[in-house]
Amino acid sequence: MRNLRRTTQGIFLLIFLFLFVQTESKGGDELGYPVKIWLDFDPLIFISTLLSSHSVTRALLLSLIVVVVTIFLGRIFCGWICPLGTLNTMTGALKRKASAPVHHTWYRTKYYILLIVLASSLFTAQLAGIMDPISLLIRSLSLSIYPLVNYMTVSFFDTIYDLHPPGVVAVSELLYTLAKKTFLAFNQPHFFQGIFIGLLFILILGLNLIERRFWCKYLCPLGALLGILSRYSVLKRSISEGCTSCGICETACPGGAVIDRDGTWKSQECLYCMDCDDLCPRNAVSFGFTGKTEAVSLNLGRRNVITSICAGILAVPLLRIRPLSGSGYFNRKLIRPPGSLDEQAFLRRCVRCGECMKVCITNGLQPTLLDAGVEGLWTPKLVPRVGYCEYRCTLCGQVCPTGAIKRLTLEEKEKTKIGIAMIDKGRCLPYAFGTPCLVCEEVCPTPRKSIWLEQVPVRDRDGNETMIQQPKIDSTLCVGCGICETFCPVRGEPAIYVISTNESRSMDNKLVLD
Amino acid sequence: MNRRDFIKTTVMAGLSVSLPVNLDLLIGNLHALETVDIAVAQGPSPAIITTAAINAIGGIGRFISRGDIVVVKPNIGWDRTPEQAATTNPEVVATIIRLCYEAGAKTVKVFDNPVNDERRCYKQSGIADAARNAGADVSFMDKRKFKDVKLGGLSLKEWPLYTDILEADKVINVPIAKTHGLATLTLGMKNWMGVMGGWRWRIHQRLDKSLVDVAQVIKPTLTILDAVRVLTDNGPQGGSLQDVKRLDTVIAGTDQVAIDSFGATLFGLTGHDLGYVRIGNEAGLGVMDLSRLNIKKIIL
Repeated sequence: MRNLRRTTQGIFLLIFLFLFVQTESKGGDELGYPVKIWLDFDPLIFISTLLSSHSVTRALLLSLIVVVVTIFLGRIFCGWICPLGTLNTMTGALKRKASAPVHHTWYRTKYYILLIVLASSLFTAQLAGIMDPISLLIRSLSLSIYPLVNYMTVSFFDTIYDLHPPGVVAVSELLYTLAKKTFLAFNQPHFFQGIFIGLLFILILGLNLIERRFWCKYLCPLGALLGILSRYSVLKRSISEGCTSCGICETACPGGAVIDRDGTWKSQECLYCMDCDDLCPRNAVSFGFTGKTEAVSLNLGRRNVITSICAGILAVPLLRIRPLSGSGYFNRKLIRPPGSLDEQAFLRRCVRCGECMKVCITNGLQPTLLDAGVEGLWTPKLVPRVGYCEYRCTLCGQVCPTGAIKRLTLEEKEKTKIGIAMIDKGRCLPYAFGTPCLVCEEVCPTPRKSIWLEQVPVRDRDGNETMIQQPKIDSTLCVGCGICETFCPVRGEPAIYVISTNESRSMDNKLVLD
Repeated sequence: MNRRDFIKTTVMAGLSVSLPVNLDLLIGNLHALETVDIAVAQGPSPAIITTAAINAIGGIGRFISRGDIVVVKPNIGWDRTPEQAATTNPEVVATIIRLCYEAGAKTVKVFDNPVNDERRCYKQSGIADAARNAGADVSFMDKRKFKDVKLGGLSLKEWPLYTDILEADKVINVPIAKTHGLATLTLGMKNWMGVMGGWRWRIHQRLDKSLVDVAQVIKPTLTILDAVRVLTDNGPQGGSLQDVKRLDTVIAGTDQVAIDSFGATLFGLTGHDLGYVRIGNEAGLGVMDLSRLNIKKIIL
């Protein structure tokens, strides 16, 4: 059973990683793989989005399959499928000896986290994604671990290439090509806060050294949700009379579900790994659909439950007493991806999974820190100095699991404004220095260019007059893609830059009367 | 295009080139045929006119030898489709690749350093697929292969250029004719921006001179200007079909200044209107004055 479980975990982890790597453009308009399917299957994302946005995202209905499976078979998702669970199992193996949980009440924490998340989503704040395991894993890999692995691999091969030891390069370049074809990124990804998000992730894995599957036992809100559902599961653990209360199963149980040596069992904590069945020296443990079982009821404590719910409710206004919501203040640097919903609706849906940032073809989509308030932590924003929004690319909307970024057709995309470009005449070469340039005009992608040129006479310091072309912005045409800012040859602060004003998604954040 | 089509194309193009020559040629005016400087072929099939233009300047065998490593450098600069005329016509590119292999080339390499995302440009332009089908080695540019090259030019002293193009036995430049805000038109010499590394946007400050400096180092064996569709406004990127004009023309020659000078006439301009053509002419890179050249026009 153990090997079967490990193989299953391995297969699902590989599927997860494969789809993760495929979350990258190959030049076509679509990706060709259902890269967000793990999130579609996530019931926590489904229920929190349902509560916070009062609408059903159709793809997320797939998560009901997990709900049904859990009701029948318990948390087998946690024990057999969840890729973060598998990574926890793997790092947990680094801990020399398994030990029974020291903290007998800590398991309740995850239920309180779940209650806070659900209570706040009922009051329209979407906080589930921060700790949802699938969302957390995709975000951590996208923004931190994958860039790290990519950097490491590329610099390894680059070093060999530079040193050029005879005979070795041919082999290393062959391996490099193979790596590029299988798992390397097309361009090295880099993200603000990559180190911070990465350290958090390493910390979560590191907790396994304190107790195996620390995260799954004590913190995971999805685990808590599935735990509640699994309380009614048909598949149950039962103990036959041969049990000598040796305690092996209690020590080995990765979910902390076996308590007391008499064989009582917390069904909602059980990961259904069935290790206890395997390990029992007397073969007294079995899982089945029949049989007597002694499950302990889940006691969270009324006070604690009420406190958690109140905390979740109070978090919402606390997060929103800031100038960003409904006060007429718009953060000019908060350039949302094309197809994003109006800011409030956007925050109700975005689960910060990082899919859009992973797939962004220019690496321009970056995680926010406080640009969208604490509530908008790690949501995507375009940073054109890093990368612009590719005019004919619609990938971010295709991978968004909750519809925070709408899926746009190519025609819609080409008309969607995410901001507007502004010229800094004190830095722009033709204005400030009388030097020809016009890179912004060249790269401007709208069919009728949003940047046009005015022929103007300028004088040099000796009084000689020459004609020069100066760029101007057509405010009705500019879509705010930011390619002008990306390629502006004025390094440091650019001479042309995009601000969020004029974005299509907002009724009020407008410059042009149209 | 399959083999049969290809043979048909080649034969038809060959016939068409030999037809207008007929008696004169027999009388012995062989010399005139050999010194065609620019061939301008016009017709509905990009493959046929490309072949005809090359045949008119002496045939591919005059330029490509057995075992050559050839770089065919189209313009793949933008995330646009062939109909939008911002990138070189894929059929023209594929035809040139096939001809090179016919002439015994060992490898034909195709690459460009696009402005938009490489993956999208290669795919959406149709060039990657067409070139691969024709047997070319299509690759994205490898950042490690740019090397600082001493130019000692009018504008640029040194610039990183792509080693594959410097080390190739033969280079065929295959630009598309388009308008350009700063350069007025982008034709052959402007296409070398696609083999420049570094922060190449800086060269716009002295664009014309810089282009000549780079063109001095990369002397193409052959320049084949794609004017099947040209972009008459909002270039070099375009996007609107209203700015696209079908000229169904391909122009071939060995002198990149002359080709660009002729290219200007497609837009009602002359070589004199283009700074880099004037400077290229003065620097002795090529000939701007079209009246000094033997230009052969072929209509198919």
